[in-house]
Amino acid sequence: MIEAAGISTVLVSTGRDLTELVCPPRSLFVNFPMGNPFGPPTATETQRSIVSAALHLASTATAYGSITDWAETWPSDFSDKVAASLLAM
Amino acid sequence: MEPVHYVELLNQRYRQQGFPPYEWTVNEPATLTPLDKPLSECRVSMLTSGGVSHCSMPDWDAHARNDFRLDTVDPASSSTDFAVNDSYYDTDDAQQDVNTVFPIDRLRELAETGVIGSVSPRLWSGFMGRIYKRSHVNDVAGPAFAEELLADEVDLVLLVPA
Repeated sequence: MIEAAGISTVLVSTGRDLTELVCPPRSLFVNFPMGNPFGPPTATETQRSIVSAALHLASTATAYGSITDWAETWPSDFSDKVAASLLAM
Repeated sequence: MEPVHYVELLNQRYRQQGFPPYEWTVNEPATLTPLDKPLSECRVSMLTSGGVSHCSMPDWDAHARNDFRLDTVDPASSSTDFAVNDSYYDTDDAQQDVNTVFPIDRLRELAETGVIGSVSPRLWSGFMGRIYKRSHVNDVAGPAFAEELLADEVDLVLLVPA
């Protein structure tokens, strides 16, 4: 409905399958834990790169529902964080 | 680590608890609005649903259900003046540096360096927690939010569900 009002949107997601269901107009999937879509705390360069990449999708993505994958992955296994999130859901 | 299969894992969890299958929202493609100007000329806003509150506002209820509170955030706010409360995820990193879920410093820097035209006069925190009233989102809260963005002459919104 925001897009229908003439405003572009970009979503930054940490859940690729959830994003496929919701089908936002354009998304950047970042394979990081929930709570860290822009990276670790104080990782200024990573945060800036992800924000910038997401915003540029508004100019480059042409198909509705497109999901672009951020190339970097979280440096460690975060299964424990996933398990904790699932318990709260 | 491979992308997490949240849908499958949640379906398993709900089954184990004896709940009926969860009715996931599945949206179809709709209107796509491409930018009609360079990013360097765009006014950018941001919405997080990650339980981020400025210190001038009450904390979010980490276990909120159908809470349609929507906070405005002054884009000049210090990034050290926020609290983060959300039981859906580990908030330790966000409490240490809110830019992990609400990159307010990074947006300002992108404006200062000319990557984007400007940061909108209001940023946003809302649609937090468990919202089951989908028709209210579609018919009331969503359109009302769009009106606020139009009032601020926003060109592009960064959406961050955390």
